[in-house]
Amino acid sequence: MRDTLSTRFLGRTVLLAILALYTCYSAGPFLWIASMSLRTTSEISANAYALPETLHWEKYIEAWTGSNYGTYFWNSTIVVVSAVLALTIIGAMAAHCLARYRFPGNRVVLFVIFSTLIFPPQITIISLFQSLVEYRLYDTLLGLTLVYIAIQLPLTVYILEGFFARIPQDLYDAAKVDGYSHWEIFWKITMPVGMPAIATTVILNFINLWNEFLYAVVLITDESNRTLPLGVQKFMGDQLEDIGMISTGLMIAIVPVIVVYAFFSEKLIQGMTAGAVK
Amino acid sequence: MIVFVTPALLMYAAFTAYPVIRTFWNSVHIIRPGGRTEFVGLDHYVELFANDDIFFRAVTNTLTWAGVAPLIDVGVGLLLALCLYARVPFARIFRVAWFTPVLISYVVVAILWMWIYNYDWGVANMLLRSVGLEDWQQTWIGHPDTALWSLIFAHAWKWAGFNMVVCLAAIHALPREVLEAAELDNCGWFHKLVFIIVPMIRPTLVNLLILAFIGKMRVFDLVWIMTGGGPMWSTETVSTYVYKRAFEWNTFDLGYPSTVAAIWFIVVLCCVLGLTWLFRQRDRLEY
Amino acid sequence: MRQARSWMAAAALAGATLTGAAVPAQAERELTLWSHWADHETKVAFVEKAARELESRHADVTVKITWYQKNPLYAALQSALRAGQGPDIFYLDPDRTEYIDNGLLLALDDLVNWDNVYGWARSAWQHDGKTWGFPLEASTVEWYYNRDLLAQLGYEVGPPHYQLSQTDFQALVEKATSEGVTPIVQGVGDRPYPGAYVTHELLLKKLGTDDYGKLLNGGLSFKDPRVMEVFGYVEGLVKAGAYPKSFSTLKLGESHYYFHTRPGGVVFPIGSWYTSRAFNPPDKGGQPEDFPLGMMNGPAMDGGACNACKTNNVAGSFVVNAGTANPDLAGEFLNILATPEYGNLWLSTVLVQTGIKADTSTITGPYRDYFKTLEAVNESAEYFFGTPLQFFKGKCRETFEQVMNTGFPAGLVDSETATDMMNDGCFTG
Repeated sequence: MRDTLSTRFLGRTVLLAILALYTCYSAGPFLWIASMSLRTTSEISANAYALPETLHWEKYIEAWTGSNYGTYFWNSTIVVVSAVLALTIIGAMAAHCLARYRFPGNRVVLFVIFSTLIFPPQITIISLFQSLVEYRLYDTLLGLTLVYIAIQLPLTVYILEGFFARIPQDLYDAAKVDGYSHWEIFWKITMPVGMPAIATTVILNFINLWNEFLYAVVLITDESNRTLPLGVQKFMGDQLEDIGMISTGLMIAIVPVIVVYAFFSEKLIQGMTAGAVK
Repeated sequence: MIVFVTPALLMYAAFTAYPVIRTFWNSVHIIRPGGRTEFVGLDHYVELFANDDIFFRAVTNTLTWAGVAPLIDVGVGLLLALCLYARVPFARIFRVAWFTPVLISYVVVAILWMWIYNYDWGVANMLLRSVGLEDWQQTWIGHPDTALWSLIFAHAWKWAGFNMVVCLAAIHALPREVLEAAELDNCGWFHKLVFIIVPMIRPTLVNLLILAFIGKMRVFDLVWIMTGGGPMWSTETVSTYVYKRAFEWNTFDLGYPSTVAAIWFIVVLCCVLGLTWLFRQRDRLEY
Repeated sequence: MRQARSWMAAAALAGATLTGAAVPAQAERELTLWSHWADHETKVAFVEKAARELESRHADVTVKITWYQKNPLYAALQSALRAGQGPDIFYLDPDRTEYIDNGLLLALDDLVNWDNVYGWARSAWQHDGKTWGFPLEASTVEWYYNRDLLAQLGYEVGPPHYQLSQTDFQALVEKATSEGVTPIVQGVGDRPYPGAYVTHELLLKKLGTDDYGKLLNGGLSFKDPRVMEVFGYVEGLVKAGAYPKSFSTLKLGESHYYFHTRPGGVVFPIGSWYTSRAFNPPDKGGQPEDFPLGMMNGPAMDGGACNACKTNNVAGSFVVNAGTANPDLAGEFLNILATPEYGNLWLSTVLVQTGIKADTSTITGPYRDYFKTLEAVNESAEYFFGTPLQFFKGKCRETFEQVMNTGFPAGLVDSETATDMMNDGCFTG
């Protein structure tokens, strides 16, 4: 009995050690950047791994004012918030329709939308570029927003349709008896009941779009229209690798996402557990 | 009620369906700036299959990546999820620490890992030096033998946490009795994993594998910023090749890269149909 | 239903903000300029001065300059111009002839006062009988070195040729490696050409201008015995450990720092625009104040047809968008630059050669000696005009970037394979 206990204890310790090691691997780089973001480049080139001696908080101000970070942030916010908003409504409407109404071609529409989920963006990036030029939407935030809606739509519809289809039919029957219109059914039943799944899509869409790079790099050129990932890339000067300053820039880009996650992480996990991603 | 689905269909038609069709149209033309377009029939296709070594390098690299990385991502994710399920202390902290890389944009990941792989002061070589393995030092992303694997490793760093969360959700959703029964039978840890947990969450694992596979087939940002496809095309992927030829090569032609895209469209379609079919077959055999 | 309306309102509001943001603020007349050199302070100051002068001449004109790094600039240009947009004036290197072939540039023959521009500089931009670019910056390929290190290793160079022999140079490389010093600093992490400097300069010396020209035009095989000899020689240097270990990922800016600050190296072959980075203050990536900078010519090849030969080329230039709405303003801006006054200003502040006619004797101050050395090293030089990238297109260019710039100098392919691959990509004869 003792034997098993001590082997158990040993096993636990080894397990914990491995987990701690993995945690160093996954979180260590953040701590490294965070510490570099508070040090100057000359301090870093003397020793890349020392802890900050004096905390150079002023670098954050310098990074913010010395670049167009304000503009990039604002652009990213406008584009991502409008796209996520539109995605949620358009996607939920489509999912509601596909999940709750039977009409000819229903499954075909779902399959077609779903099948685009699998296609890598490089397939359409060129013709999308041509199309936006023709629609006169090239190098505009509106164009980028529309593209973002389009690329995230399949995933959104896919997740929501799966969830909406499992809402008990009784609710809908009751609503019909009460004389609800189609719109009212959508807004008063599907949307509130489907909240866990909607929250999941909102978070996933937000993270994906906030970090999106390929479409932004092809479809946006003007400095005043750049989004954050492009701005971060711009931080890498070719004069001198100003490692300290780039770290500060990276931290500014990382922090908001982590804050959003910190607020919504439980919702995200709940949504996933509720079978949103399955 | 068809109104509900109309906006989605319009978006779909304008920004997905039309571009796909247009890609195929592009692929039989030479398209230069100023609306100078020339029909060339299947010339690009012939050129691609007859002469384009770089394309085949790109395909090999992408398929290697898409074949290997999902196993790593999902495998590590599953193991991590099991650890958390085993009720280790500090589980909450672990979960947050492991999931955070998922949230970070590729641009940031790429810059970060370029530093980690830096020859002179990067973490990788620093660790090797500190344990006395100076001879193992590498220019990790600067040598064809190590570059692709270094990128795959960095990519796995970002994604393991995502797979962990989904696996964890799936395990938590399992009926408790089954696991408890296994406990009573004094099943070994390994047996429990292989014979009970994995088969029961198989649908989730399959979904994750397919998702990861799709993700790797489109990989662009990380490669573009870290290596640009080099050295010697050892990290060239289909996306970087398409982008390079369309927006960087001085040929200024959009037709040929569209051909690459069109071919890739067909390859991806086949892969996904094949995978789905494969998993369906196995389902039938087992149940 | 109420909820629905507020959603819609929010969406409409978001839409309105979007379209609002998409419309650029328009002044009366705006001249837009996109340029490389985001962190070359002296060049930025030079161009901004010209911009302010144009604005002071016209009350209704604003000049809007966006400063880029080179790679993002080219990425932005290629898509913007294809979309029929883009700035009025932009930076371009003369190797980018595809912009001319695709009709994206405006001919400058009648817009610019060419009397104040050197003929050799103008000719770099002449194609089909027209001039397409304004040759602001010119440079020669120079072999900078650390005087202290070279002396420590027991070598020196001096007049008239400032040159080592092929054998001595090889011995220098071997000696430096054995003492743990990097012999030749070079990094190709973010540029498609520095790795090829040594091979191509030596090819030029071995072949002479005519045959070297043929090689670049696809008329001479890379299997030519003289070419193979040079490849073999360079391969020997590579095997002896000539380049830094981090060669393939080291970026251009980092390679400067590597050469003059840490960890240091003996020779640094690079365009004479070295100064525009190195003469910045040290905390902006410049060389240390007391750095013992020397200049030499590449080693003389045994049996070389032209050991005094070196590459001279027009580098950073300004071109005008064919679709510009303000061709006259663009011309006027370039003509502000095309004056001896601005030529002298460029020389004395940027310290790189220029295509604008200027007088080196006007240079005063701490960098006068640098310019004297530059002139001395070039005194007996014979020039070949144009870099390999100016000649190579499509697959040939891609092969050059991967093989000549990276694979061969990094020791990833031997000279046999490298020349095979180059012939496959470039040889047409």
